[in-house]
Amino acid sequence: MTPMATDVLPDEKPLRYGRRARAFTAMEEHDLDVLVLGRGANVRYVCGARGLWNAGTHGFAPVCAVVRSTRQVYLLSTWDEGIPEEIPHEHMLGITWNPMNYLTWLRDIEGSATAGRVGFDSISPLFAQLLPAAFPAAEIVDGEDAIQAARLVKTPEEVVAIRGSLSIVEQALASALSDLRPGVEERALTGVFMEAMASLGVTTPSTQDVVTITSSRDRTAPKGQEAVRAGDLVAFTAGVLDGGYAGEVARTWPVGGGDEIAKYRDAFDEWDELWSHLIQACRPGASGGDFFAAYRAANVAVPSLPIVRGVGLGYDLPIVVADLPATAAGQRVASGMTLAVTGIVDSPHGRVIAQEVVLVTDGEPEILTTSPFWTHQFQGAKRQ
Amino acid sequence: MIGHMTASTIPDQPDLARMRRDRHARLQKGMSDHGVDAMILIGNANVCYAGGASWPYGDSGRANIERPVAVVVSGDEHPHLYTPFREDAAAQLDLPEDHLHGPVYLDFDEGVEAFGRLLTELVPHKATVAVDDVTGAMARNRDRLFSSWPPPGVEPIIGHARLLKTPDELACTRKASKITAAAMAEVQKALVPGVRQTQLTARFLRHIFDLGAEANILDPIWQVMPDRREDLPWTTHGDVPCPLLTTERQLAAGDVLWVDTAVSYAGYHSDFGRTWIVGQDPSPRQEAQYQKWKAINDAVLAEVRPGVNAARLTAAARNLCDGESPWMPHFYLSHGIGVETAEMPFIGTDLGEEFDESIVLAPGMIIIIEPIIWDEGAGGYRSENIYSVTEDGWILVSDDYPYDPYGN
Repeated sequence: MTPMATDVLPDEKPLRYGRRARAFTAMEEHDLDVLVLGRGANVRYVCGARGLWNAGTHGFAPVCAVVRSTRQVYLLSTWDEGIPEEIPHEHMLGITWNPMNYLTWLRDIEGSATAGRVGFDSISPLFAQLLPAAFPAAEIVDGEDAIQAARLVKTPEEVVAIRGSLSIVEQALASALSDLRPGVEERALTGVFMEAMASLGVTTPSTQDVVTITSSRDRTAPKGQEAVRAGDLVAFTAGVLDGGYAGEVARTWPVGGGDEIAKYRDAFDEWDELWSHLIQACRPGASGGDFFAAYRAANVAVPSLPIVRGVGLGYDLPIVVADLPATAAGQRVASGMTLAVTGIVDSPHGRVIAQEVVLVTDGEPEILTTSPFWTHQFQGAKRQ
Repeated sequence: MIGHMTASTIPDQPDLARMRRDRHARLQKGMSDHGVDAMILIGNANVCYAGGASWPYGDSGRANIERPVAVVVSGDEHPHLYTPFREDAAAQLDLPEDHLHGPVYLDFDEGVEAFGRLLTELVPHKATVAVDDVTGAMARNRDRLFSSWPPPGVEPIIGHARLLKTPDELACTRKASKITAAAMAEVQKALVPGVRQTQLTARFLRHIFDLGAEANILDPIWQVMPDRREDLPWTTHGDVPCPLLTTERQLAAGDVLWVDTAVSYAGYHSDFGRTWIVGQDPSPRQEAQYQKWKAINDAVLAEVRPGVNAARLTAAARNLCDGESPWMPHFYLSHGIGVETAEMPFIGTDLGEEFDESIVLAPGMIIIIEPIIWDEGAGGYRSENIYSVTEDGWILVSDDYPYDPYGN
């Protein structure tokens, strides 16, 4: 157990400085003098401060600016609780509703006047019109590529953080599983998961779409309100954010026993076969396309959902999804990546979905998730 | 557009199909008024409003990538929805099949290229296409989507549409508020010395899902307010900081909590604010803070009716405070709520008096009133309630949640 966190603290120094070093390297490689960030995970990556969690996407506003020449970080924050010491009060802008205040703030940063290339991680029409004036000498370009490149490979401290987050999500998943029985509604299981997560000290989920009955039968209630029946197949796709880091896991469990669930054995066996191919692609040098090949080798149809995505502060590259074949082919797996790899098997009886988080190393890939599978009991030992 | 609305015309159950039709009609009118041929909407709240779907929102990191996108074409009877949750949307919506699509991935060049091709099937070359936000990949491939840069924003259209709520929208906000209040009642029962802030969150999350919330929207705030300003963190403006974040801090008898939570129902948010005291009744001085808060709330409310400009609301609050503004400088006296927890109208912000004067109250507008009382040496008090402007005044939209342990 980690000690209780009773103060709002910045991320640990090695975590902050390790990430920022990667961000500055990416700025050099992408020839960016200033990087202006609005997306929460990007801001956390370079600032090391916890923000207030709000579900869903947020419209663009400049929340953080990083200057390559001075190595200084500027942050939108009205108070200094939990703000790292290397971001002094003079670098902070209080919450404001007047867009012109953002312009003045960015313009007055040391290095803005002479910046030649300034990257934004996203932009809105209003700020696209307004903010170039803060950088009179600069070409305004996309900066999301650079920050994504920085986030691609994890520092050792980040891997520790991800392990911690996985420990929370797997304990909370176990709690939800212990309440899986006929009669319980999907949303009630989601509530059990969330309650367990917060009881473990983490109040922020990465997804709130946690529980779905996936057996092939007609649904009788709106999403979330369907009650579990004996003989159902139930998928848990859970995620938490601890210290900003996503811990995610998915498992599918049948409900009941005996003959009514024996029909699912084939689909779970197919999943095991699929996994044996997928894990082979979690090696340095493999391409995103190798994960499609793993599905083909197992004779399983590639699903429409992403089958690989990076986990870190939220959602990282690489991404492997059927709709983006060229993107997948152009990405290479590298040591130090943490991948959420998803196997999905659609059988006539229902869908089996399970996801592991894998740390790519120079040797064998390390599976960081440890949640049990239904089929382990038949195998006498843990898979692999 | 709203018609005559009285308290009785907020339906118990929202008619979601009617709500979607009404919203779409407003957007079509706005697009026609502003000469916009199509809108690309990628922000969750705008997609929910225009595309008609609602879903449990994820963390922004994931929501940025696996996000539904809506395209509204001028003159079209329905919006186009591109969504990774296609089956859920199909069950939820009455969209024709040729308007309900699989996902698009606007964070990737390949995804934007594919989306650009889809767009050319919907709108002619050189059409005026407005957008709410632009990803890095959209910016890199701007020529595939927009005929000018920067493209026109959608705020004059969708912001305007979202400003005045239909009775069905108000019914959704009320549903979300009732779920929140019922969950908070369970949390308040657990408010005893020794409980941790995160345990209050645990209880809250458990109950909102049981009660039918679509999602939690805000990491719940249980901010402990000290007696003196100097015991709070530094701020840019010197005034009180809020909201400060939740930890595993253990609460002690007498701790004053500023509480703030929000959930969603059919895409519509609640916003719950109260002040609680752990294991104690308020002192006479604390009770007086609440009474002062209530006097300000009532004075502001007395100004709420159609045709009034919003500066009258801030003036009413200041009149009871020797000209000082009884709210935090980084926020406002009032804000609206709908598919976002804080949306227009914002009243009392740093945009200033002139901006407030430009806001004229109208039926269907939501006004959340949230003054704060800071009483140096004895902490402070804050609560908030959701009201809607009616034809002849206002009605309470949020639940009539008690002010315990104050006000007894």
